[in-house]
Amino acid sequence: MSDTRDTTGSLDATGSSDTTGTVDTLAAPAPATADSPSAQARWSGRLSPRGRRAATVAAGVLVLLALPFYVTSFWLQTGLFAMAAVIGAIGLNLLSGTTGQLSLGHAFFLAVGAYGYVWLAAEPSGTGAGSLYGLGLPPVLAFVLAIVLAGAAGGLFSPISGRLRGMYLGIATLALVFLGHHMMLNAPQVTGGFNGRSVPPLDILGFSFTDTSPDGLAVLGVPFGGLERLWYVGLALVTVAWLAARNILRGRPGRALGAVRDSEVAAAVMGVHLTRYRACAFIVSSMYAGAAGALLALVFKRVVPDHFGLLLSIDYLAMIVIGGLGSVGGAACGAVFVALIPHLLTKYADDLPLLTAPGTTGSGVSPGDAARYLYGTAIVLVLIFAPGGLAGLAHRRPRRKGDDSPRTRRFPLRTRTAPKEHTP
Amino acid sequence: MRSTRLAPAAAVIAALALSATACSTKSGTDASSAGSDGVKTGPGVTEKTITLGALTDLTGPYASLGKSIVNAQQLYVDQLNASGGICGRTVKITVKDHGYDVQKAVSAFTETEPNVAAVSQMVGSPVVSSLSQELESKHLLTFPMAWASTLLGGEYVQVVGSTYDIDMINGVDHVVRTAKLKAGDKIGHVYFEGEYGKNALAGATYAAKKAKLKVVGQKIKPTDQDLTAQVTALKQAGVKAILISAGPRQTAALVGTAAAAGFAVPVLTSSPGFAPQLLATPVGPALEKMLQVVSPAPAFTDNPAMQKLAKDYKAKYPKDLLDPGVVSGWNAISVLGEDLKAACKAKDLTREGIAAAHRKQSRLTVLGVPLDFSDRTKPATYRSFIHKPAKTAPGGLTNVEPAHEVPAARTYALPKG
Repeated sequence: MSDTRDTTGSLDATGSSDTTGTVDTLAAPAPATADSPSAQARWSGRLSPRGRRAATVAAGVLVLLALPFYVTSFWLQTGLFAMAAVIGAIGLNLLSGTTGQLSLGHAFFLAVGAYGYVWLAAEPSGTGAGSLYGLGLPPVLAFVLAIVLAGAAGGLFSPISGRLRGMYLGIATLALVFLGHHMMLNAPQVTGGFNGRSVPPLDILGFSFTDTSPDGLAVLGVPFGGLERLWYVGLALVTVAWLAARNILRGRPGRALGAVRDSEVAAAVMGVHLTRYRACAFIVSSMYAGAAGALLALVFKRVVPDHFGLLLSIDYLAMIVIGGLGSVGGAACGAVFVALIPHLLTKYADDLPLLTAPGTTGSGVSPGDAARYLYGTAIVLVLIFAPGGLAGLAHRRPRRKGDDSPRTRRFPLRTRTAPKEHTP
Repeated sequence: MRSTRLAPAAAVIAALALSATACSTKSGTDASSAGSDGVKTGPGVTEKTITLGALTDLTGPYASLGKSIVNAQQLYVDQLNASGGICGRTVKITVKDHGYDVQKAVSAFTETEPNVAAVSQMVGSPVVSSLSQELESKHLLTFPMAWASTLLGGEYVQVVGSTYDIDMINGVDHVVRTAKLKAGDKIGHVYFEGEYGKNALAGATYAAKKAKLKVVGQKIKPTDQDLTAQVTALKQAGVKAILISAGPRQTAALVGTAAAAGFAVPVLTSSPGFAPQLLATPVGPALEKMLQVVSPAPAFTDNPAMQKLAKDYKAKYPKDLLDPGVVSGWNAISVLGEDLKAACKAKDLTREGIAAAHRKQSRLTVLGVPLDFSDRTKPATYRSFIHKPAKTAPGGLTNVEPAHEVPAARTYALPKG
């Protein structure tokens, strides 16, 4: 990871290789070739970093593509959770990082996506009090419609979000989480109630993304179960989400959204339609959350209301803050960080020194507690040493500008005065 | 530009293609095999050890309960290993903490699942619901630390003891007899939203109908701390007794508020609604006066098995309090221990073998309670104990009425999960 980051200074590459959660040793030789002195001399200025970047991106993507052949299902599942988090975080980042609208309601839109997919794709079942509604649509269509549904939910909320700012908007969106939780518990025929509902598997023209059908599928001698197959769906979704967000941010809408964040008056003077852009940001962000929720549902195989609580919203806020507000790569890094670290710490907590295993009489810290302490410490450390988030780390090294003066960015979090990078 | 991009990429592709075919270590399915001693073994069982999994909450809202369960199960396993283990193998429990977070639980399960033979405890009904399909498809015998009757019916998920609804039917019967309720009287039921409360309410409603009583329901959330509104409403409705299916905190709030309001009706709680820690609080005396606990498990003084457990537990964990978690944990692991012994006798320690051995247990006595697991759609027992809090008793409870079965419990139609 560190190799990649040092040689590229690009967020694309760091982000995508971080998603793997493993040290991609394969990425190391690639930048080295591109880095040869002659190449640097020849492609001085803009091109050389771009070349290196492309090489690193390619290497990262290849590592990601190859992972299902090597790692166990635990890693694939954790990776898929991270991918869902990346999609959701990119969406929240568009809203909170770029447009400056604080949202605590992200978990609600994730829930809409997850339950939307289940409801749209499931066949109706059961009778009487235990009956479940479902439209029985083809899963792919249901997936797309679930995203649209989440967008619609965001659209319905946009009259409120258009009238509120800052903290007030945060509190208003907070209401969505509780409203959503209440609805999930009290509409058992759609949501399955407290125990949740099982998720119909994704299925494309008879090819099912489960352990069966085609049964015992093996690629290059490696058995390909549900998680291996879903991995590629996740990768495709992350790619689409990433490119779409990048295009939005790099284009006219992105500049407009940034202008809305920095000064609404100035933006309005420049001809940015404030209400429309704020509503659009909310809708797009909700659609991202919907996609993340639907992917999460596919990985979980069962959706339960308790998952989509306030804590999930807070986790997403933590992701974009840790990653660095306003950049797609940063959001992705933050998402991977927040989604992976607790799982890794829990997995390896048993091997840490000075711990007492549960069920023994020692008075030390239990592995579960230690994992939590370490996670908290990691967050604090990131925020202290990378005030601009993980995205800021990539820009840490003074970069030469045209006039050879080192560029320093000491407070990248200060969004109003510092020029903001909207693109990774 | 083109070459700098393509050369490394091509190299990587080639390397990957070669290694993917040659040295991927991911193996296929680990089929069951017979060991050197002729015992068929499956995942989680080696020549030397049998590994069990435990998915519990040691850092979340049920941390103290989770800790007691883990301790009790470890105590059992230690004793079992000291007496020679099972089939010459030592038993080991891999404990994973999920802090009541479904996502963490699912990933901890994926991590431990390939290496365990059975799951000795799983805390949290959202966790159990998320994983129930997986458990059934992986043939993994699992003991959830939840007692909703909707969990019955699975081949591999096994509730130990009576369920919340059966407990409430027995509890209502007790209240009707002791408080001399007549037809037309009202009883209040304060319950958590969610499976636990819903299941208990179903039992209470059925029992009330049989006794021609009317149930006044008050739904609360686990975050509710102040039950003044509920107590006032129940007082106005003129209820003669109150049932509560919530957490210990809510039980204390309910009894405290009712006592302060001079509303001295008998209060009966499901066993998760009581914790011995409550007796040290200012509400303690009121609890001792008004509260009764309906429980599938005996109190620590009831029989020699319970007394021995209390003694052994105190010897191993002198600093920890005896609470209902100790009994639940011990119950589950005892049943699993017996299953393993039976599976060992049948020379089949595969997951399927353990589950088959479990299903044959129709007359198992654990801590003085007879259990029957032969019918997976029915609770293992229809009997419940009635206890009352007592500050000086170990575990904070003394028995009021020994376990008995109420006819209504058998006629009650169990809800389907």
